[in-house]
Amino acid sequence: MQQIIKLTVNDEEYELTVEPNRTLLDLLRYDLCLTGTKKGCDEGDCGACTIIMDGKAVSSCLVLAVRANGKKILTIEGMETKDGLHPIQQAFVKNGAIQCGFCTPGMILSAKALLDRNSHPDEQEIRTAISGNLCRCTGYQKIVEAIEEASDVKP
Amino acid sequence: MLLPKFRYHEPATLEETCEMMADLGNRARLLAGGTDLIVNMKKKILDPEHVVFLGRIEELKGIDSHDGTIRIGALMTVAEIAESPDIKTPLPALAHGASVLGSPLIRNLATVAGNLVSARPAADLPPSLMAYAAKVVLRKKDRKRQVPLKDFIQGPGKTAMEPEEILTHIVLDRPPAGSGAAYIKLGKRKALEISLVNVASYLSLDESDDSVASARIVMGAVGPTPLRATSAEKLLIGENPSQQLFERVGEAAGLESRPIDDFRGSAEYRRAMVKVLTERTLRAAYELARGSL
Repeated sequence: MQQIIKLTVNDEEYELTVEPNRTLLDLLRYDLCLTGTKKGCDEGDCGACTIIMDGKAVSSCLVLAVRANGKKILTIEGMETKDGLHPIQQAFVKNGAIQCGFCTPGMILSAKALLDRNSHPDEQEIRTAISGNLCRCTGYQKIVEAIEEASDVKP
Repeated sequence: MLLPKFRYHEPATLEETCEMMADLGNRARLLAGGTDLIVNMKKKILDPEHVVFLGRIEELKGIDSHDGTIRIGALMTVAEIAESPDIKTPLPALAHGASVLGSPLIRNLATVAGNLVSARPAADLPPSLMAYAAKVVLRKKDRKRQVPLKDFIQGPGKTAMEPEEILTHIVLDRPPAGSGAAYIKLGKRKALEISLVNVASYLSLDESDDSVASARIVMGAVGPTPLRATSAEKLLIGENPSQQLFERVGEAAGLESRPIDDFRGSAEYRRAMVKVLTERTLRAAYELARGSL
């Protein structure tokens, strides 16, 4: 039985009908065509589907869309503004923290959730914050450096 | 992976949930954080007809601490448990266990009750909660009961919970001055790791002569449930703590553990690690106990 939900995604309000067995990840990708949020393992292990829900970074593959009713969601598409890329995104580009790019949206949202509550994390705090996001290309070092750099210029 | 179809319910109160569960029983599954249930449903291990989401029920949230009792709402997330000063100060071993569970993404969803009802032998929260002698509050229509956590967890994935029951709170006595507890998890990685072995130890000291008044040692991932090392605990009572004593107790705990060989590690290695972790957690618990006098 379909249900009606209202949610805010990247500052835009949506009212949608969804099946209870739809995940938030599939709602974002297939119903809203926000394909920046990646589908990796689909069982909460890889972090590719990381989004920020009410200020917390979570795996959207583990959240039922109906559960997001009334929530505020931020995806990678909501990071860029009309002034250009978000400083975290810029730091990732500048530091070569992106190779294949599949983990990047999740990494950037985990980094944002960290910097929003701790504007000057140390290296260990950064590594812990991204410990749920797997990257098979970079070896993480450049990602850590990018987040370190972004923490200095965060607006 | 597609989720099987189900009917979704979102009760707003505990009352309403009890009514609903009395009616649905084992045709329904309770959804809290979803980090286990959703995965098991995707893998078709579970296929419930109804899913009852608890996340809108305010009574199940928050920590209430008064008259020497701490009541933890079932829906507190693992991240909240790790960060809340109401947990960190009185229950550091629990806060530490929460801080090493899964990953930040999992901790923001997973709930404290979920980590108990899933009853995994290597879970991160049961050992410290058992060391603190926690009880769980179970509610169903017309009945409320309290069960010690050590009796609640009965085997891998098996608990004393009836299908229509809801775990609403975890209650424990605020540890007294002169007590301390610690938890150590041993895994091969720092995140998204299932414990190879974990140990939680609790000690309280007799203020007059610094001897051990009471002790609880709980070993995880070395048996079908987290195990109390009761004969090891007995070695501590009335004794004055020392490195030699802790080593002897560690040895005894290792002998009491019932590890198995699997791809994560051998039984022999696990037993050796029980000894080391018991010794280390006792040392840390003792430091805290002395510091609080």
